[in-house]
Amino acid sequence: MLKVEQVVKTYETVRAVDGLSFEARPGEIFGLIGPNGAGKSTTIRMIMNIIAPDSGSIRFDGKRLSESDKSRIGYLPEERGLYKKSRVGESLEYLAALKGMRLPDARASIGAWLERFGIADWRDRKVSELSKGMGQKVQFIGSVAHKPSIVLFDEPFSGLDPLAQDELLSAMVELKKDGVTVLFSTHVMDHAEKICERILLVNKGREVLYGPLAEVKERHGRNAVQLEFDGDATFVKDLPFVETVVAYPRWIEVELKEGSEPDQLFRAVAGRLRVRRFEAVAPSLHKIFVRLVGRSPDETNGAGAGEALRA
Amino acid sequence: MRKLALIVRHEFRMAAANKAFVILTILGPFLILAVTVLPTFVANNPAAMSGGRPVAVSSAVPGAAEALAAAYGGMGVEVSVTDDPQAAKAAVLDGSAAGYVVVEAGWPDSGRALFYSKTGVDATMYASTQAVLAAFARELRIGASGIDPELVRGILADAPFEVLKIGPEGSEESKTQDDFMEALFVSLSFVMVLYMTVLLYGQMIGASVVREKTSKTVEVMLSSVTSRELMFGKILGLGLAGLLQYGVWISVALALVKLAGPAFDLAVPASISPENLGWLLAFFLLAFFLYSSAYAALGAASEDEHHLGQLAWPLLLFLIVPLVMVSSFIMSPDSGLSTALSIFPMTAPLVMLIRVLVSDPPAWQLAASISLLLASVAGMALLASKIFRTGILMTGKRAKLGEIVRWAAVK
Repeated sequence: MLKVEQVVKTYETVRAVDGLSFEARPGEIFGLIGPNGAGKSTTIRMIMNIIAPDSGSIRFDGKRLSESDKSRIGYLPEERGLYKKSRVGESLEYLAALKGMRLPDARASIGAWLERFGIADWRDRKVSELSKGMGQKVQFIGSVAHKPSIVLFDEPFSGLDPLAQDELLSAMVELKKDGVTVLFSTHVMDHAEKICERILLVNKGREVLYGPLAEVKERHGRNAVQLEFDGDATFVKDLPFVETVVAYPRWIEVELKEGSEPDQLFRAVAGRLRVRRFEAVAPSLHKIFVRLVGRSPDETNGAGAGEALRA
Repeated sequence: MRKLALIVRHEFRMAAANKAFVILTILGPFLILAVTVLPTFVANNPAAMSGGRPVAVSSAVPGAAEALAAAYGGMGVEVSVTDDPQAAKAAVLDGSAAGYVVVEAGWPDSGRALFYSKTGVDATMYASTQAVLAAFARELRIGASGIDPELVRGILADAPFEVLKIGPEGSEESKTQDDFMEALFVSLSFVMVLYMTVLLYGQMIGASVVREKTSKTVEVMLSSVTSRELMFGKILGLGLAGLLQYGVWISVALALVKLAGPAFDLAVPASISPENLGWLLAFFLLAFFLYSSAYAALGAASEDEHHLGQLAWPLLLFLIVPLVMVSSFIMSPDSGLSTALSIFPMTAPLVMLIRVLVSDPPAWQLAASISLLLASVAGMALLASKIFRTGILMTGKRAKLGEIVRWAAVK
């Protein structure tokens, strides 16, 4: 469906994208994952032919993207924007028309989406009256209303409350069910973990990891435990069989040294913590990323995790 | 083409379905009339200037007050004779009298004639007073000298003098000072309309492009259309709005000339002719495309509207210079300077329009001016679309004009 090969983009002195290659297959959800400034948006813009790569190739079904192909693609840019003075419905109809959709079809599709997100009443309101979250939803509709066969979402969850994030996640899963190829970028590993079939983990413009999510997790071992508890768990990182710990006040993820068993940890914490949940898991993407890159992908709430790693 | 048409329609609606646009379209002709014709009209008409207030007169010379009253009466200004200088001056000061004329005893040989004014700049009022008193003084002196008044009047009578304008087919048309003033007003109004609309539309395009950047709509747009379609869509959409506006104005002007003029016996200036209105529209279109392409490119290169203002000053200069020099173009439409500036593309629309209105420029100059303009429009559009493509995605950098022009060289 979409094949990106050895793409390079340099801005003045910064190599934003440094030889990335990946493929998004028909009807899958593909995650482009990495910290801020990893080159995700630049990659997506190059796929959209908004900026040209310095070298490398981007192909849709084996062909270069032509202007007429743009109607098959839906794009949600990282920087959202709608004409503020227009009405919600008109704005969306305009965007759909530019994608070649006929007005009655566009109206029906837009109506269904507005309904789905519970903002049908806002159809005749001015865009400038929308709250940030609603604006995001409207923009999302703008990228899918014309029934594209592939959608590119750049940080689709940023600025949305958890409820709206869930709405969006389920909308993306539904798109996939309808056979749409979904490619999205995020720096929040949880989102990727929930819905991606395959991922490309990037850092500083380069590939860190690439492949099916399940396989990635497999490759990086199953020797981890997630623990929910009440009490003080600082002692855990000093246990002899513990490799690393990602710690939050009431939740930790512990990676065990090779040859150790989750059972050992269970015995060590029993009695010292009030354990609410104890689960042997494949390490989270977050954990894998931290281990491979050496820092947290999520600048805002990842600082604690990074500290835990060094400790 | 379909996408371009969609953008044109969208931009047209955004521009035209706008209160400011509707108001300007309706009020435009009145505004232009107000800034060009009315002040001159008021300044040249004592009745309009006195605003219905009387002029106070106290005279120690018999007949002077009567002569002034007769002359002012003819101009529609009332005269009130007074012998209380304090009250008359107070009336001037509080605005209840338009002026206070004092003719002292012994005038015109030993006494003075005085005009008290509140502002000191109401030249029309005191010039007409001066003229009336000068004529009256002449009568007094003739009477005192014992010469036959009829003889003197015969000597001083005006000698016939006529100005004739030769038409291309050898026709002759009588011209007066009023005709000149009329030509001046009409040309001035037309040039003002052209200047204001080109500037307004240019800045609207620039602002609309900057908004596209600052509101971040540009990326969504570029995921569907090319940067070229976006730019020309905006220009054509707004151009269509401009055409609509001109359509309304020209219809109003023509209705005035063809219907209201004859029906109410109004003296509509002859230079408001369909032909001249056609020239106005033609030069508007040429200037619009030239300047709006340039503004679109600069808008794309700007960080915000303030930055756009800084970048656009050379464009403004090309529009303002002809406007400042407008009276010299009107008085000598075929001078070397007028000719040169009417052919140089950036100033051609304004200057050539003046020349066409007040003179009859040679066909080759007209052809040269218009074909150069057409070529410049094409060149500017090409240059602009290249700058636009680079600039529209550029953020966080306040580019200088030189840099921006170099973007056009990017293949």
